[in-house]
Amino acid sequence: MTPDLFFEQLVNGLSLGSLYALIAVGYTVVYGIVQLINFAHGEIFMMGAFGAYTVWLLAGSPTELSAAAALGLLLPAMILGGILVAVGTALLTERFAYRPLRGAPRLAPLISAIGISVFLQEFVRLFYGRIPGFPDSKRAIPFPHIEGISGNSIQLGDVSIKMTSVFTVAALLICTAFLWYYINRTKTGRAMIATSQDPDTARLMGIDVDRVIMSAFAVGAALAAVAGVAHGMYIGNIDFKMGFMAGLKAFTAAVLGGIGNINGAVVGGVVLGLVEAFAGQVGDTAWKDVWAFVILILVLVFRPQGLLGAKVVDRA
Amino acid sequence: MIARLSAYERVGRFAAIAGAALVLLSVMLPWAYGKRALDDMTYFFGPSPLQLCGAGVAAVCLAALIAGLVALPGRGPTMLCWNDMARVGGIGLAFYVGAVLVAVAVATGGLVNVEAGGWLAFGGAVLAALGGLTLPDSPQATLSHFLTPSWGQIAAIVVAIASALFAAAAAVNQGDVEDFVVFGVWLAAAIFLVRASGVFAWLSLAAAGNRQVLVMAAFVAAFAFPFTQNGSDANMSVAAQVLTFAGTAIGLNIVVGLVGLLDLGYIAFLGAGAFTAAVLSKSAFATLSVDLPFPVVVVISGTVASLLGLLIGTPTLRVSGDYLAIVTLAFGEIFRITMNNLDGTDGPNITHGSNGVPGIPNLNLFGFDFGQSHEILGVTLTRHANYYMLLLVVIALIIVVFTNLNHSRIGRGWVAIREDEMAAEAMGVNTFALKLLAFAGGAFLAGVAGSVKAYTDTSVSPDQYVFLESAFLLAAVVLGGMGTVMGVLIGATILKLLPEKLRFFDDYRLLLFGALMVLMMRFRPEGIIADERRQLEFHDEDEELAEDVETELVVHQAHHNLEGGKRS
Amino acid sequence: MTKTAKAAIIAAVAASVALAGCGTRDESNSAGGDTVEKKVVTIGTISPLTGDLSAVGSGIRNGVDLAVKQANASDAIPGWEIKIEPMDDEAKPDTGKNAATKLAADDTVIAVVGTMNSSVAQPVAPVLNAADISMVSPANTSPALTKGADLNAPVRQNKSFFRLCASDDKQGPFAADYLLEQGIKKVATIHDKKVYGQGLVEEFTKAFTAGGGEIVAAETINPEDKDYNTVISKVKSASPEAIYYGGEYPQAGPLSQQAKAAGLKIPLMGGDGLYDAAYIELAGKDAAEGDLTTSVGAPVDSLESAKAFAEAYAAGGYAEGIGPYGAYSYDAANVIISALKTTLASATDAKSARAATVDAIQSFTTTTAATGDISFDEFGDNTNQVMTVYKVEGGEWKAAYTGTAM
Repeated sequence: MTPDLFFEQLVNGLSLGSLYALIAVGYTVVYGIVQLINFAHGEIFMMGAFGAYTVWLLAGSPTELSAAAALGLLLPAMILGGILVAVGTALLTERFAYRPLRGAPRLAPLISAIGISVFLQEFVRLFYGRIPGFPDSKRAIPFPHIEGISGNSIQLGDVSIKMTSVFTVAALLICTAFLWYYINRTKTGRAMIATSQDPDTARLMGIDVDRVIMSAFAVGAALAAVAGVAHGMYIGNIDFKMGFMAGLKAFTAAVLGGIGNINGAVVGGVVLGLVEAFAGQVGDTAWKDVWAFVILILVLVFRPQGLLGAKVVDRA
Repeated sequence: MIARLSAYERVGRFAAIAGAALVLLSVMLPWAYGKRALDDMTYFFGPSPLQLCGAGVAAVCLAALIAGLVALPGRGPTMLCWNDMARVGGIGLAFYVGAVLVAVAVATGGLVNVEAGGWLAFGGAVLAALGGLTLPDSPQATLSHFLTPSWGQIAAIVVAIASALFAAAAAVNQGDVEDFVVFGVWLAAAIFLVRASGVFAWLSLAAAGNRQVLVMAAFVAAFAFPFTQNGSDANMSVAAQVLTFAGTAIGLNIVVGLVGLLDLGYIAFLGAGAFTAAVLSKSAFATLSVDLPFPVVVVISGTVASLLGLLIGTPTLRVSGDYLAIVTLAFGEIFRITMNNLDGTDGPNITHGSNGVPGIPNLNLFGFDFGQSHEILGVTLTRHANYYMLLLVVIALIIVVFTNLNHSRIGRGWVAIREDEMAAEAMGVNTFALKLLAFAGGAFLAGVAGSVKAYTDTSVSPDQYVFLESAFLLAAVVLGGMGTVMGVLIGATILKLLPEKLRFFDDYRLLLFGALMVLMMRFRPEGIIADERRQLEFHDEDEELAEDVETELVVHQAHHNLEGGKRS
Repeated sequence: MTKTAKAAIIAAVAASVALAGCGTRDESNSAGGDTVEKKVVTIGTISPLTGDLSAVGSGIRNGVDLAVKQANASDAIPGWEIKIEPMDDEAKPDTGKNAATKLAADDTVIAVVGTMNSSVAQPVAPVLNAADISMVSPANTSPALTKGADLNAPVRQNKSFFRLCASDDKQGPFAADYLLEQGIKKVATIHDKKVYGQGLVEEFTKAFTAGGGEIVAAETINPEDKDYNTVISKVKSASPEAIYYGGEYPQAGPLSQQAKAAGLKIPLMGGDGLYDAAYIELAGKDAAEGDLTTSVGAPVDSLESAKAFAEAYAAGGYAEGIGPYGAYSYDAANVIISALKTTLASATDAKSARAATVDAIQSFTTTTAATGDISFDEFGDNTNQVMTVYKVEGGEWKAAYTGTAM
C-alpha cells in the first residue's frame, strides 16, 4: 500500500466512521437512560436527511447560489430543518410507542421498535413522493449540490481530500464538543447522567424522568439529523432505506465503544469506519461487511463492556 | 313476560328482530345489478352462496333474539349468551352487508348498481346492530357447567375442525379479491358470533379433555385439505409456502416464545437447511451432489442448521438481553453475504453465489414421484399438493417436538429463564446449556423445514434469506401468540395467505405490517391466541384477567376431578 | 309482533312484488353481452409491478398490453379475443413461482411474457414448461436459463422457454470489444454480486483479456451500501482507463458520482441495467458525461419499426416509460400472437393449443419487429443479437455504436 493510498483510505475511513459515530451517539444516549435499543434510530437518521432535503425543495430548489449564500443560509437552514423533522419523529415514537411500554417485558419495546423502523421506511417510500412537486421517493434521490463543499477538494501533494469528507469529520468534532457541554454543563444534561445512574433516586430528587428521556431521544435525533445532511453531501444521494444498514453499523459502533458510554460511541464509530476502509483495501471487498459484524461478535464475547467500558453491562 | 323488559330494551329487541328478519328475507331479492359483482347476486328467490352465508348469520341472530326473549334470568334456557350473540351477530351483519355493498360498487363501478334488495339488507342489518346494542349483557353461559358425554365432546371437536377445514377451503377458493374480502368479513362475523355465544369456552374445555382427538382431527382435516382443491396447483403452492413458513416460525417460537431470546436472523437457519439440501441434491448446479435417501438429507440439513445455531449461540448467549437481538441480526447478514461469496471467486465454490442452486429435481420416495399429479379417490393431487402432504408430516414432527419439549422439564426450565434468569440460575437451572439447546433445537427445526423448501421451490438463492424475512417470521410469532403452536400457525397463515389473496394492497403490506407490530405490542402483546402464563405476564396489573384465568382453571380442575371420579 | 316489524315485512313484500316486474332485466343484461361469442385466449405477464424495480417491470407489462390491444383492434385472430393477465413477482423467486402456478392453472392462458430477473425465471420456467405454456422472456440475461449449468456442454433447460434479449455471454463481450476498439487496454471491474452483475462481469472479463486487454482490479460492492469510496480508492490506485460495472442503475449512478468526486475521471461502462434516465440523474449530469452502456436492440431512431412502436407507446397513454425492455416485451407478445394465428385457427380451446404454440414459436422468424430480426436457435435464444453502445452526451443517452454480437 503506497502512503498516498494509505492516507486516502484513512480519510475514507474517518469520514465513514464520523457518520457512524454521529448516529451511534443516539443509540448510546437512549440506551444509557432507558436500556432500550432504539432499533428505529437508523430511520430517524433517514428522516433527518429527508427533512433537510425538504427544506431545499421548499426554498425553491436553488442550484446557482454563491458559496457564501449556500454555506451561510442554505446549509444551516437545511440542517435545522433536518433536526426539526428528526427530533419531531423521535419524540412522537417515544411518546406513542415506547412510553406506554415502559415496564413491559423487554421484548415488547424492541419488537415495537422494529415495527416503527419498517413503518417509517415504508411511510417515506409511499407518501413522500406523492406530495406535489416532490421527487419519486421509491428510489434514491440525488442530494442537492452545496456550493463551496460539494465537488470541491483540498489538494495535499498527490492526495485530494474531498470537502464533503472535511465537513463530515468537522461535524462530528463540533457535535461532540456540543454534546460534552450539554451533558456535563447543563441542568438537563446532569439530570440525564443522574437518571442513567439510578432512575428511582433521580425521580425522588425531583428530576422529571419523562422529560429526561425525551431529551435523550431529542439529542440523539439531532445528531442523527446532522449525520443525515453529512451523508447526503458525502454520498450524493438519499433514499428511504439508507437508515437500515447505517443504523446497524452505528449500533455495532456503539457496542464496540461500550454501550451507554458517549465517548465510546464516538471512538467506536471512528474505529469501525477505519476497520471497514482498511479491511476493504487489504482484503476482498466482498467480505468487508462480514468483518464489521465479526468484530461486533468478538467484542461482545471477549470484551462485552466495549473498548471504553459500558456503563451497564449485565442488564438483561 | 314481555312487560318485565325495560321499554328501552323492548324497542331495541323488536327492532333487532325486525332487522334480522329483513336481512333474512332480502336474500330472496337481487342485491346487485350485473352478474360480475361477487358471485352473481342478481336472482329472485335464488340466493347466491355468499348471500346464503349472510342469511345464516341473520337466522342465528334472529334465533338468539327470540331465545333471549324467553330466557329470563333464572328461567328458561341460559345455556348460551343469547343477548351477546344477538348483539355481535347484528354488528357482524352490518359489517358483512356493508362489505357486500362496497364490493358491488367496486366491481360494477358505483353504488348505483346496488339493487333494492341490497339496500333492504343493509337497512335491516343496521337496524339489527342498533337494536342489539340496547340489549343488556347476558349472564355467563351455563353450557360449560354441563357435563357432556365424551362422545358428545368428540363429536363437537370433529364438527368444529370440519367447519374450520370447510371455511379454509372456501376462503382460498374465493377467486376474486372482492369475494375473498366479503367472505373474510363474513367469516370474522361468524367466528365472533360463535365466540359470543360461549361455545368456544365449552369447546376449549372439551378439547382440553380430549387432546388426542383434537390433534388427530386437526391433522386429518389438514390432510383432507388438498382434496378440496381438486387439481388447483396455485392454492396448494401457497399452502405449501404457508406450511414451510409456519414450521420455521414454530422453531423460532422456542427461542422467542419459550426462552424469551429475540432472534432477528432466524431466516438464516431456514437458508442453511435449504442450501444444504440443495447442494447435496442431484441438481446440475449442486456442488456436493451425493446419492442419499431423502430422510438422511433432512437430518443432515437440520444438523447443519443446528451446528450454525451452536456456532452463533456459544459465544453470544453469555451476553444475554438486547445484545443478542442485534448479534443474531448481524449473523443473518453474515449468512447471506457468505452464501453470496461462496461462488468460486471470493471463496470456495459451494453455493454458486447469487445464482444459487436452481433445477433441483423432484423427490421420488418409494416410487412416488412428487413432480407428477396423482389421481387419488377421484381427486387430482398436483405437484404442490404432494409437497404439501410431505410438509404436513414434517410439521407434525416439529409440533410433536415442540409440545413435548414445552411440557417437559426442559420447557419449564426455558420458561423459568424467560421469567427471571437470575432466579432460575439460583434454583439450579443450567441456564446456559438450556439456552444453547433452545438455539440449536430451534435451528434444527428450521433447517428441516428448509430442506423440504429446497425441493418444493426447485431453486435456492441467497436473496430469499434477507432480514425482512426474519422480521416476518418474528411477526408471525408475535401476531399469533408467543409460546403457542396454534397461534403461530394462525399468524403464519395470515402473513402468507393475505398478501397472495389481496394483491391490490401489496404496496402497503409492509406499512401495515410495521404499524401492526407497534399496535400489537401496545394493545395485545400476547398475540391472537394467548398463552395463559404469557397473558398474565403482559397484563400483570389487570386483576380481573387474573381472576378470569383463575376461575377457568378452577372449572377446568373441577371437570377433571369429576371425570376422574367417574372413572375410578 | 310490533308494528315496526309488521311494517317492515309488509314493506319488504311490497318491494319484492314491485321489483318482480323488472325481473327479466338481469337475463337481458347477460344475454346482451353474449351475442357475438368470442373465445378467450390469455397472455400472462410476470414482472415486478411493486418495489424498487416496478418502473422497469411495468414497462414490460405495458409493452404486452400495447401489442394485445393492437391485435384485438385489427382482429388478428378471427374468432378469438386476446386478454392480458399481468402478474406481480416483486422481483422475488417465491412470488414469481406462485404467479406462474396461478397462470398455469388458468386454462385460457397459452403463453407468458416475463420475467425480468433471471433469479425469478429459474423457478418460473419449469412450472410453465410442465404445463406446455410458452414463455418468451424480454429481459432475462442469465445464459444458464437456456444452456444449463455448463456453457461448454450446453443442454436446453426448458422446451417452452424463449428469450429475445441478449444473454450475458453476448452483452459482456460486446462491451469488451467496444472498449478495446476505443484503445482502452486497462479496465477495472466492479459488480454487485447479483446474478446479473456478476454474470456480466465474468463474460466481459473473459472477452476483454482474450482480446489483449488487462483487468487491473476486480472488486465488488454490496448493493445495500451507499458509500463506495473504499472500493474507489482501491481501484484508483490501479490506474485503470475505464471501469466496467456489472449491476443496475440504483448503485451505478452513485458509484459514478463518487468516483468522479474522488478524482477518478474515467468513463464507467455497464450493461443494459444502466440504460435509464435515472442513472444520469443519480450520477449528476457532469459526472455521468462520457459514461457508457450497452443495450439490446438497435437504437429507436434507426429502425422504422422501432420508431412506430415508440410512437404507438407514447399514444397509448401509459403512466410508466417504455423502460429498457418495453420494446422486447412488445415483440415477445407479437411473436406469441403470430404463432397463435396458426395454432388457434383449428383449435377448440386455448389449452389444447399450448403444445403446438411452443413449436410454432420455435420455428417463427420475422424481420420487422420493433427490435429488428427475430428467430430462435436450438436453445431458445434469439439468433439476432443486435446491440447498441450508448454514451452520455449533454446529460442524455445517445447511441454511439450499433453492431451484432458474436
